[in-house]
Amino acid sequence: MNDPIAFVTGLKLLGAGLAMLGAIGAGVGVGIAAAGGVQAMGRNPDAAPIIQTNMILGMAFAEAVAIYALAVSLIIIFAAG
Amino acid sequence: MSEVQKKRRFGFFRWIVLALILIGIYFAFIGPSIYSPVRPAISLPPEALWPGLEIFGVPITNTLFATLIADLILIWMALRVRSYVKSGAMVPSGVSNFFEAIFEFLWNAVDGAAGKWARRVIPLVATIFMLIFVANLIKMVPGFESIGYLEPPKKGAAYAPVPLFSLFGHTVYTIDKGQPVRLEAKGAVSEGSEAAHAEEGHELCKGCQIVPFLRGSATDLNFTFALAIIAVVMTQVYGVMALGPGYFGKFFQFGRLVNGGIFGMIDFGVGILELILEFFKNLSFSFRLFGNVFGGAALLAIIGTLLPVVLPPLLYLFEMFFGIIQAYVFYLLATMFISMAMVSHHGDEAAEAHN
Repeated sequence: MNDPIAFVTGLKLLGAGLAMLGAIGAGVGVGIAAAGGVQAMGRNPDAAPIIQTNMILGMAFAEAVAIYALAVSLIIIFAAG
Repeated sequence: MSEVQKKRRFGFFRWIVLALILIGIYFAFIGPSIYSPVRPAISLPPEALWPGLEIFGVPITNTLFATLIADLILIWMALRVRSYVKSGAMVPSGVSNFFEAIFEFLWNAVDGAAGKWARRVIPLVATIFMLIFVANLIKMVPGFESIGYLEPPKKGAAYAPVPLFSLFGHTVYTIDKGQPVRLEAKGAVSEGSEAAHAEEGHELCKGCQIVPFLRGSATDLNFTFALAIIAVVMTQVYGVMALGPGYFGKFFQFGRLVNGGIFGMIDFGVGILELILEFFKNLSFSFRLFGNVFGGAALLAIIGTLLPVVLPPLLYLFEMFFGIIQAYVFYLLATMFISMAMVSHHGDEAAEAHN
């Protein structure tokens, strides 16, 4: 508390770290997408290329939410306060 | 079978890899400290190519320069494909071969989504794909984010410069990890030294970081935001091209509000929500691409400092893969949004209401 700049910087970094907790949902989402894709490929191996394409697409969507969390964290560190 | 086994040289490449790993360990940990990678000063906004290089107050940035290089590569590729098409040969070679493979891949996706409008949609979305693809791949070239000019960092670690050799009368420096410099009173020093830089020309900083001449294009939020705006605005343009001005009735469903009862009001709300969603697509497109590429670059820089020996090549592979995937995702999403915009949405509703 004696050095307000260090205090603010410390809290800012703590906030940036906490912002990345949003990546938990993205991890679960990517896992669910991969599980669905792999199960579909197991049931119907002939359609594997189509399923793989759509699985990667679904994974990219789910991952984008983690990227939003990363963007918020970067904004807190570099551009806020 | 035994012939094949006799011809294969036993374990040749593994010795090369081992030698490279040992050389890496020497340079990173044991050798002179100017060889080991320094802790990076990651800056979110792009920096000017040379301090003070501005046009009407807008700096010419290093990401702009990298985008120009990607543009030149694309133009060269287009000219090569044009010469192949004009020559009338049946089998392409070189860049045309590569381009034909990619184009078939792209065409399948657009044809499946857009149907009869595919020929008019594919130039825009394929160009966006090729630009992001080329921009993400050329940023993997060594030297891309490591050669630049010295400047004291606004925040982050600073290191002392060490002169290496002389090139065209100017000295080329490198920064030394073994000599970290502590900049006192960061706010005063950065303002003071920037002023010194402007007044006295090329005054060498005491504690420096490298500001690169080239930086990956998609690490710049301007680039990704511009592409996202192009994609979203062209979605509306394609919608009007296919459906006429009645396309905007998708958002403002006043007809349903007046004579639809309770479902009409819900449909009106859905229409307004779709309008807000159009703006959200901007954000989604730009931040997905920006976050992936910038996060990858920052990760490479930091892991390059912490563990410079075995992990960076794997991260490079990861980065290249993700760069291609993100280009493909951008392209596919743009295609799907354009295809959905061109399908008559209002017509189904009217047919439904008359039942």
